[in-house]
Amino acid sequence: MKIRTVYKLALVLTRSQIRGTQRNKTLARIFGEPRTIIIVDLVLLIALGVVGYSLLLRSPALLREAIAGMEASALAGVPVGIASAVILFGVLYEISQPIQSLSTDVVNWLPISPTEYVAGSIISESYIYSFMLSLSLGLLLGPALIFGMGQVWLAAALMATLALIIGSCVVEVLDALTNRISSSFYKKSGRSGMFVRLVLTIIILVFVQLLFSGQIIGYLLQSVIQTVRLAWFVPLVWPSVAVLGASQGSGYTFLAFASLSVVFTLALFEVATNFRARFWVPVPVAIRLSAQTYHAPRIRLQVPWVGLGESAILRKDMRSLTRRREMARFLAIPFVLAVSLGLSFSPLGSESIADTPGLLATVPIYLLPVAIFVGLLSMTSIGQEGYAVWNLYAAPIKPSNLLRAKMLFAAALGLLFVVGLLAVFSLLLKPLATYFWVLLALGIAVVFEESAIGICFGARFPDFREMVRSRYVSVWGSLLGMLVGISSAMLTASPIIISVMRYHSILPQLAALSFIFAFAVFVVASKLANSQIKLLLQNIRT
Amino acid sequence: MVTAMKALQVNNVMKSFGGLMAVKGVSFDVDSGQVLGLLGPNGSGKSTLMKIIVGIMKPDSGSILVQGVNVAEDPITVKRMVGFVPESPRLYEFLTGNEYLDFVADVHGLEASVKQERITEFLKALDLEGRENELIHGYSQGMKQKLAIIAGLLHRPQILVLDEPLNALDPRSARITKDLIHKLRDGGIPTIFSTHVLEIADAICDRIVIMYDGKVLEEGTSTELRAKGGTSGSTLEEVFLKLTGTSDTREIVEALTR
Repeated sequence: MKIRTVYKLALVLTRSQIRGTQRNKTLARIFGEPRTIIIVDLVLLIALGVVGYSLLLRSPALLREAIAGMEASALAGVPVGIASAVILFGVLYEISQPIQSLSTDVVNWLPISPTEYVAGSIISESYIYSFMLSLSLGLLLGPALIFGMGQVWLAAALMATLALIIGSCVVEVLDALTNRISSSFYKKSGRSGMFVRLVLTIIILVFVQLLFSGQIIGYLLQSVIQTVRLAWFVPLVWPSVAVLGASQGSGYTFLAFASLSVVFTLALFEVATNFRARFWVPVPVAIRLSAQTYHAPRIRLQVPWVGLGESAILRKDMRSLTRRREMARFLAIPFVLAVSLGLSFSPLGSESIADTPGLLATVPIYLLPVAIFVGLLSMTSIGQEGYAVWNLYAAPIKPSNLLRAKMLFAAALGLLFVVGLLAVFSLLLKPLATYFWVLLALGIAVVFEESAIGICFGARFPDFREMVRSRYVSVWGSLLGMLVGISSAMLTASPIIISVMRYHSILPQLAALSFIFAFAVFVVASKLANSQIKLLLQNIRT
Repeated sequence: MVTAMKALQVNNVMKSFGGLMAVKGVSFDVDSGQVLGLLGPNGSGKSTLMKIIVGIMKPDSGSILVQGVNVAEDPITVKRMVGFVPESPRLYEFLTGNEYLDFVADVHGLEASVKQERITEFLKALDLEGRENELIHGYSQGMKQKLAIIAGLLHRPQILVLDEPLNALDPRSARITKDLIHKLRDGGIPTIFSTHVLEIADAICDRIVIMYDGKVLEEGTSTELRAKGGTSGSTLEEVFLKLTGTSDTREIVEALTR
């Protein structure tokens, strides 16, 4: 193994991952240098330590006591937390890679051994996620010094560094394994394989969203020590068990589990190297979706104002949504929103049935997810064309054709979401069941209104760059679009809200005002979107 | 006296990107049934000019008429008439070859029976038969190029604009593409064709425009260009290198192998 090659490779991998995900060129250039990352990490560690130390010295005795009681648990939790986070982020990074950037490792044809590649990749991952180390250890440094736990802190720092490497090794193993498994799986199963991947990706995304919810984090923090104690035989928690031993003054436990952790790291490195050498598939596999010869579909869904061109774009976008794994996050939104809202309405989320929101609160709670979902879908529908957008530029399609196709795409999915959401909410909330039809119509109005607003901003601020975690719309565009979209949805709902506030029911006259407003917004936004698309189609930007 | 309408007229077209002038007042025209070769080193403005001709990029000034239709005034009509194959085409990688061609055919408004016949024919002719149900993501560069060529020809265009169309093609497919261009020329369909391979330009182009630094350096038949270069007995490559001022190749090779 050539150390120079490993170092150079780590440098290149770090730069490519940071530059591939960071849109700000200056930040990407600064943080693309491992030396800068290390300096920033050290500054962060010391600064957090100093701030924590001085704040804790001035804090009330009660708070200090509480922190003292948690310090050992927190220090023991750092290694297992870091290993888990690295694995989780590694998997998410893999999921968010666009289809175009898969299996394009130039190292496949360079004279680099699997050992050198794995070592370089692990160092690169460690550079990238090292901020977690400095953040957690920096926060715990001050209390550790005040409560005389400096040695335990040192043990935690050592084991957390090892855990960072363990996490990176696991990501390497998963990378090689999933590459091979998915390649073989897709090759054999074609369309059904893609469906399974889509479902799995959505499940992972929903899981991650839930994992980062306040309730779950609180629960995990409370039970970390118990988990570590119970699961001492799981290698991933050995570094934490070692820190726990150090905090209890048991040098033998620390030494034993620290040694086991080192052995586990070396074993994982060996496994990762072998997997890389044996299972890596350097070229993209051919995924066959059907065995039939080409038959042009003769029967088409006849929808007024939807021509051949529009329906072709619509079908393409639907396929894009279900086949590109980076698009799965959009499909995950309804599920995430449904689970989050479901949790807040469930007996677990509220003290009693009296906490269940009334009609006044229910209307915005119902419309907000609709506005967010449809707004995001429509805003990103232009930018998600990526560099293949030239196909649309070169095609004889009018701005109005593209507008209708993209609007139909967002509206069709939005309508499905509205129906599903309303059905679930009606079961949970009585007021919604009473006004089901009015609220369904309101939902439909908001869907069309949001799809027009979203396309307007999506066409004005598109981002066609194909990078990891592509945004498809610029930061400002998405912020402005969301602001306008949500405000518009709330303004649409306001006559109904006023009606509920004053008359405790929905008056037809005031409901009609909502629909007139929604229609007016839809017409204006559609005209603006059409002119934005017209401007966009004049000059290719990629 | 009534003059025949030119298939393509490029009049004093200019295009800049920020401070960089990519196309500096280019003018030329193409007759029906003529194959025009656009030659020039990398960065000479060929691809930009082709994008302007097909209406996907707006010129800063100048005008382009395709079969008498001004691209700036009626880009949709021009796009209906043009078959365009860009340099290194980016296709929708999540579609299969069949689905992509079906998409292009629908966007051009082809009838089901017509597209069925043409897609099947082209797939067979360019050896993509049997691979058409695979995702484009798994295609080789050559297969993607073939698909882009089929997409450009599917709607029977009235003018072809091909940016390095033979890139990455296997000899058989390259030959088929060249023969297709000839066949279309015989039927009166003009072609603008950019290439770096001078032998190809020499063999299939009726006229050649040499571009350098965003300008037209020379224009004429292969024989005329040789005469203009003062090297009537030499190859087109020698003329090209002489005209573009890049004939110091021997010194470069010497330096590289030293």
